[in-house]
Amino acid sequence: MSIAILRAATALYAVAALLYVGYFSRPRHGRLSAAGFYVLAAGFVVHALAIGAGCREYGGKEFFSLRGGVVLAAWLAAGAYLVLHRLYRVPSLGALVVPLVVVALIPANLIDPAHPAVPKELVRNAAFHVMAAILAVALFAIACGVAIMYLLQEREVKGKHFGALFSRLPSLDALDRLNQRLVRAGFAAFTLALLAGTINAAAVWKSAWSWDLQQVLSVGIWLLYGAMVELRHQGWHGRRYAVLTVVGFLVLIGAMGVRQAFPGATRHAGSYGVVVNGGGAQ
Amino acid sequence: MSGRDLFLVGLSHRSAPIEVRERVALSGEALRDALKELVHGPGVEEALVLSTCNRVEVLVHGEQEAAARAFFTSRAADAAAHLYQKQGPEAVRHLFRVASSLDSMVVGEQQILGQVKEAYGIACAAGAAKAYLSRLCNRAFATAKKVRTQTEIGRGTTSLSQVAVELVEKIFGDLAGRAILLVGAGKMGALSAKALAGLGADRVLVANRSPERGLQLAGQVNGVFRAWEELPHLLVEADVVIVSTGADRHVITREMVQVAMRARRHRSVCLIDLSVPRNVDPACAELADVFAYDVDDLEKVVASTHEARREEASRAEAMVEAEVKAFSLDGQSRAALPVLGKLRQHAEQIARTEAARTLSHLSGLDERGRRSVEAMAQAIVNKLLHGPTAELKRAAAAGEGDLAAAAAQLFGFEVLAGEPEREAAPEAAAEPEPSPAAPAAGSLNG
Repeated sequence: MSIAILRAATALYAVAALLYVGYFSRPRHGRLSAAGFYVLAAGFVVHALAIGAGCREYGGKEFFSLRGGVVLAAWLAAGAYLVLHRLYRVPSLGALVVPLVVVALIPANLIDPAHPAVPKELVRNAAFHVMAAILAVALFAIACGVAIMYLLQEREVKGKHFGALFSRLPSLDALDRLNQRLVRAGFAAFTLALLAGTINAAAVWKSAWSWDLQQVLSVGIWLLYGAMVELRHQGWHGRRYAVLTVVGFLVLIGAMGVRQAFPGATRHAGSYGVVVNGGGAQ
Repeated sequence: MSGRDLFLVGLSHRSAPIEVRERVALSGEALRDALKELVHGPGVEEALVLSTCNRVEVLVHGEQEAAARAFFTSRAADAAAHLYQKQGPEAVRHLFRVASSLDSMVVGEQQILGQVKEAYGIACAAGAAKAYLSRLCNRAFATAKKVRTQTEIGRGTTSLSQVAVELVEKIFGDLAGRAILLVGAGKMGALSAKALAGLGADRVLVANRSPERGLQLAGQVNGVFRAWEELPHLLVEADVVIVSTGADRHVITREMVQVAMRARRHRSVCLIDLSVPRNVDPACAELADVFAYDVDDLEKVVASTHEARREEASRAEAMVEAEVKAFSLDGQSRAALPVLGKLRQHAEQIARTEAARTLSHLSGLDERGRRSVEAMAQAIVNKLLHGPTAELKRAAAAGEGDLAAAAAQLFGFEVLAGEPEREAAPEAAAEPEPSPAAPAAGSLNG
């Protein structure tokens, strides 16, 4: 049932993606982006229904699998873009984010939701931790996209090649500020996720800090993004900040890869939940 | 073919130097007087004068163009050598091209359409533009609008200061809370500073070696004068720096900018060097978050706009061509209208009389019955005339004027074939085309 609703949401996202890409290639047709916004909003609502139906079917367990995590992250990214668009009017960003949402959802449309062996109490205790962490990753991903847009546009403006991007992207200053806000919001969400995770660890592992790989990586990334927030506070702008945002996200992805590569090194609930090592789920 | 035609006589930036153009250019009361004089000229029915800084053109609808030529030669004896003259479809095409900004010095510029509209408004107000010119001008406006919306001919930037504004906009969005620094008192610098003021900068700072000239310039651009020695410090303060001095060396060096960038904590800065020889060290562009441009860079943007517009212009020409054709077909089908009108009038008259006669013989018929008889008579007329009407319209559109003449002869109407516009004009005037006053008012907005 939930997978059928998810497919409908994906179809709506695909239409929205086409509209946004159409707008990007023909920026004079403002109606395309306006239509894209409404179709995306409709997709977001249907997606929410799919998530709700999934919760009823599997009692929230599906979101502890990689598939469920992606479904949730895509939903949050779509929602974050809707809010961003309302606040800052950046339709060209839609041409980047919405197709990514569609691509991310394709595997989830093909795989049946697994029934991971997740204890009910874990679902209850870790729901906030998982939500906050996924939201943080979604915000960091969009920030990275905005930073890439900044760097591309900066190269054009500085290099005096006023090509296709020139007329399509918002001003460098707008991208710079947007990047900063996304990093700040992502850092706040990540901080909450880390706090909730530490509380869970203290409860389940009987110790808040145990040099677990997951903990070390998470704190490392938290420090990295914290440093970015602080550097911005000290006046870091423009190109350097954009490069830092992209590097930060690459490190984040790399850390997730390391964690996947050494499943034995962490007692954390694996890739969002497949219980890796007995009852040691966080 | 005898009868009336459209004549266009004029000179433009292509054919005549400014010394000649300025002597024949007119505006205001003088233009109205000239129009009145024109319509009283020999064989002139309607007239319109388009007078801008790049062209003066006289359009005449009538039997000959002598009055239009006299308009120029009476004002400047040597104008005759620079005049071009067009007739019929050629003249229509020329007007459509002018209104669509295909004949402008800067192809695709937006002003010309408004100027043509204004010229039409003045001609209407003076009673010089009637049915034919109204139809012609409205078609020209529609063509120009089509060209503007369906091609990219109006895209891009065509002046240096506008390019500077676009670049600054691309970097900073708007300039709220930011400062512009104007270095030197060059004319281009002041122009660009004024253009940039539209982006809402908080402050304009002016630095100049000579305080007198600097203070004067600061007054012009609503800025604050600052001493030349403060320049290194001003680079920290300002986000957009426009340099336009007469110096023959680099006034702003890489080292100065490097120091300033550190103090600015790498907030972006845009350096626009409008001076030749250059006053900003080109090496400044190598520094991160420094966006430096010189006159050549800006010129290149302007040149690429012209290049793109030239490509779009060929598409626009095809659209104009189609409109010229449509206009002439429209004129021909209008020529058939008087015959059609008379034919229908004649038939309906017969139907009404016969229905009335029949009804007078029939007693005891209720209101519904009477209406049925009248409707039947009308239906017979419609059915009978449907075929001939369609055929006459088709023949007229195909330019076969003989059929209309044959129909007129067949039914015994007095329609002078061969002078279609003379008959078409009152017909057209009766239609709800814009009244002379309406376009005049509209042109003020346009």
